[in-house]
Amino acid sequence: MPRLKTPADLESVRLEARYERQRKPACITVCTGTGCCAYGAEALAGAFENEIEARGVGHLVGVRRTGCHGFCERGPLVVIQPKDICYIHAQAKDVPEIIEKTVLGNDVIERLLYLDENTGKRISSAAEIPFYKHQNRILLANNVLIDANSILDYFAVGGYSALAKALTRMTPEAVLAEVKESNLRGRGGAGFPTGRKWESTRNAPGSPKYVIVNCDEGDPGAYMDRSLLEGNPHSVLEGLILGAYAIGASKGYIYVRQEYPLAHRHAQRAIEQAREYGLLGENILGSRFSFDVAIHRGAGAFVSGESSALMNAIEGHVGEPRPKYIHTSEKGLWGKPTTLNNVETWANVPFIVNRGSQWFRTLGTEGSKGTKIFSLVGKVRNSGLVEVPMGITLRDIVFKIGGGLPDGKKFKAVQTGGPSGGVLPESMLDLPVDFDELDKAGSMMGSGGMIVMDEDTCMVDTARYYIKFLAHESCGKCVPCREGLRQLLAILDRIAAGDGREGDIELIEELSHVMEVASLCALGRTAPFPVRSAIRHFRAEFEAHIREKRCPAGACTALIQYEIDHDKCSHPPCGACSRACAVDAIQKVDGAFVIMQDRCIKCGACYTACPTRFSAVRKIQAAPVEWHSPVPSSPNPELRA
Amino acid sequence: MKNTTEERTQLDVVVIDDEELFTEGCRQTLEMGGYRAAVARDGPRGLDLVKAAHPSVVLVDLKMPGMDGMEVLTRLSESAPDTVPIVVTGHGTVDSAVQSMKIGAFDFLSKPFEPEKLLESVRRGVSLSGLRKAKEKETAAAAPAKPEPAPQDKNDLLLRSLGVLGEAYSLGVGKKELLQELAYLESEAKYHAESLGQVKRRERAILDIRHDLLEADAIMDKYGFEKGALIQILLDVQEKFYWLPRHILYWVAARLNVPAREVYTIANFYEAFSLEPRGRHTLRVCTGAACHVRGSSELLSRLEATLNLKPGETDPDQHYTLKTVHCLGCCALAPVVQIDDKYYRDPGRKKLEQIVNSFKKEETVCRD
Repeated sequence: MPRLKTPADLESVRLEARYERQRKPACITVCTGTGCCAYGAEALAGAFENEIEARGVGHLVGVRRTGCHGFCERGPLVVIQPKDICYIHAQAKDVPEIIEKTVLGNDVIERLLYLDENTGKRISSAAEIPFYKHQNRILLANNVLIDANSILDYFAVGGYSALAKALTRMTPEAVLAEVKESNLRGRGGAGFPTGRKWESTRNAPGSPKYVIVNCDEGDPGAYMDRSLLEGNPHSVLEGLILGAYAIGASKGYIYVRQEYPLAHRHAQRAIEQAREYGLLGENILGSRFSFDVAIHRGAGAFVSGESSALMNAIEGHVGEPRPKYIHTSEKGLWGKPTTLNNVETWANVPFIVNRGSQWFRTLGTEGSKGTKIFSLVGKVRNSGLVEVPMGITLRDIVFKIGGGLPDGKKFKAVQTGGPSGGVLPESMLDLPVDFDELDKAGSMMGSGGMIVMDEDTCMVDTARYYIKFLAHESCGKCVPCREGLRQLLAILDRIAAGDGREGDIELIEELSHVMEVASLCALGRTAPFPVRSAIRHFRAEFEAHIREKRCPAGACTALIQYEIDHDKCSHPPCGACSRACAVDAIQKVDGAFVIMQDRCIKCGACYTACPTRFSAVRKIQAAPVEWHSPVPSSPNPELRA
Repeated sequence: MKNTTEERTQLDVVVIDDEELFTEGCRQTLEMGGYRAAVARDGPRGLDLVKAAHPSVVLVDLKMPGMDGMEVLTRLSESAPDTVPIVVTGHGTVDSAVQSMKIGAFDFLSKPFEPEKLLESVRRGVSLSGLRKAKEKETAAAAPAKPEPAPQDKNDLLLRSLGVLGEAYSLGVGKKELLQELAYLESEAKYHAESLGQVKRRERAILDIRHDLLEADAIMDKYGFEKGALIQILLDVQEKFYWLPRHILYWVAARLNVPAREVYTIANFYEAFSLEPRGRHTLRVCTGAACHVRGSSELLSRLEATLNLKPGETDPDQHYTLKTVHCLGCCALAPVVQIDDKYYRDPGRKKLEQIVNSFKKEETVCRD
């Protein structure tokens, strides 16, 4: 393919790509995001292709492997266009039937449709499924339409038109002004105004200038950056090129976590394609603007997502933060002015340039404009990626889009903002979600992880989980963060083990305060947030652990025991619990199963395995017991049946 | 060949460039540095000169009218394999550097450069060329070779490895230093074999290590021996060997000219690297927040019991390693375990045992 030398070249390629897409009347889109692939989406797409070939209907229907659709809970997802029929949990064995009935015929297959549990109706159109219906998808909209590995697909949906517009009709200053005007705030967590960051890099002395995409999505439980870079890498790239144009940067980097091999591959592919078409390299689209991009793989360290640490990593050093007396936007990579933005922030840019800041400002709230992608996960019926305008309430996200909690459990809290955020209890469900409101409520936006917790989730355990994570990820450079986290973890460990003491809660609060004021970087300063917010909203639960040695949620393993209720157990016993046990701790004694407490590792396999019609295995709130690791010895001879 | 003519035409360096000012400057610098240098104004004339004079080093410009530098490099590698080419260019990009390295360039200098830098590079080139010539003589002399003679002398095997290693080092070190390096290599080989719990004959172990080092060289070559690419290089090494063996870390440090301390800092800092042997298969239990609330710690304890391993440990036969990972980013599947590149949602005991047994049945990895 020859390089595109003018915007007109781009338009003609776009027309061709559109025509090419419309040649086949029907298209089967299979989501091949990481989630669906884990459910076997790749094999499913292959099965569709084989079936189409076997029937010789290749001229009528095509197969497109797309990025993540977001509705990961129900994968693998198949959407048949142009009828917009969405099949969930589709398997290879369903393929002939789908082609026969839905693609070639006019029938829908009821059993593969989404079942709305509130109304009891099956819904055929993807757009009508409540999960999608209440979202406002802008950034994610194209994920469903395009093959991430095809630049032509991206062209067909209007890709790189913002770039062409900027290069022909806008000066760099105008692009910058548009972004500034839009009030776009960084989607990585802190919500710093993007336009201001760009401007300070643009005005800072020194060249070359750099731009960086931060896809070191380290927050556990958040994966929107992965899905964007995986499903629509060109949109991120286009945003980056636009940013470079506005800032006057000549070189860009995409920093991708090592745990995201697919995102890395797709981004690499996108860069190669863009170079081939002359959208990267010298004289982009025949203009005088030149820019190129390289990929840098991270190697698994949470703190490396911090801007100065990330830049250290790109320079080949250890990814530790450095003191930022001067912002990285002025002195960043190799001491040069550098703008670093999150994947989602960059992906917003083409839309702002194309549709104007006025349009962008119509979305969202006073202080937070536009949409935000959340990864709604945990104890929620419809896990997945959710893109909504800022200002929507938590209740709408969890219940309307997420479909509420599974198994009739009661909502307890939602955790936002990742390890630097906090928990929000039920009383705060009507909180409008934007940067400022979440800050006020003692949590934060973070990168957009939302973890829903039900009555079985223990808040001490949750706080301990985050502190453990942070203690492991602290780089250890400054004392308040390194030692503070270790001490916090030690205290929480003993509370969870039933050894908590009076005054522990106050001690946690004191430690937290020191960390918040004295740590070097934001990791340490925000590290105590998860504990503090848990104490603030669920103090009674901490007190129950400390005073009564009891875990009200039944989650802290040291404070519970599993037991088989022989009245409820089937006669004769079905033995499902015994077969599920990994350490053979469930033995038959006098014809009934008994759990050997000294061997039990409390993994809960028996609890899950016990058929619901019996529910004979139960958790009891035991006193703290001495914990033994499983010893491979012969079972107690007395107990052998 | 008559000695006299060879003596007369023998040159150390040939400079091929179309800019007169530059070639003249180079010639003067080189002669002040004690080298005999000659100049050619374009590719074909340069190649003729190389043919006639057998220089040790050739300086080649990349952009020249007619035959360009890349083509000169390609032809040089065919016609004069002993000669060490060094690229000098005013249009230095990473791509052109990598490409020219791939077709045999020994070094890459961006114009303008300090005279010292040129002399240093030429010095190393000349000594490499000497090593290459010596090796050629050695192989020529041993042409009607018998099958490898059993090593008699303690240093015999080491000496025989000298040819290849000398080239790999390309440091222009003397024989004594090289022997030292090789002795070190031998001790590393022993350490390496021990850490894998393997008993190997000495020759086997050294050959294995040499093989590893050449592999590492190929990886570093991919990144143009760039210091900044250290993390990327280590990631590739990790991928290839499943861990970072000590000898490779030292080797990488030497080749990239960074302190071994720095290589170790990085290897220690990042989660992705392992300084201990890992198994062929990796089981990664996601401990992300979503998995945590859906019971990943219970899943982990079940896995620990089934495999009889703690997170981070590898079974003695190096079949599999159990690890935890902070979020795999497929939270809808929570709790999830990734086994190699496949994801499993909360696998039961039966499923796990089935997978693990299939790993055990595989033959142990053989190094060849």
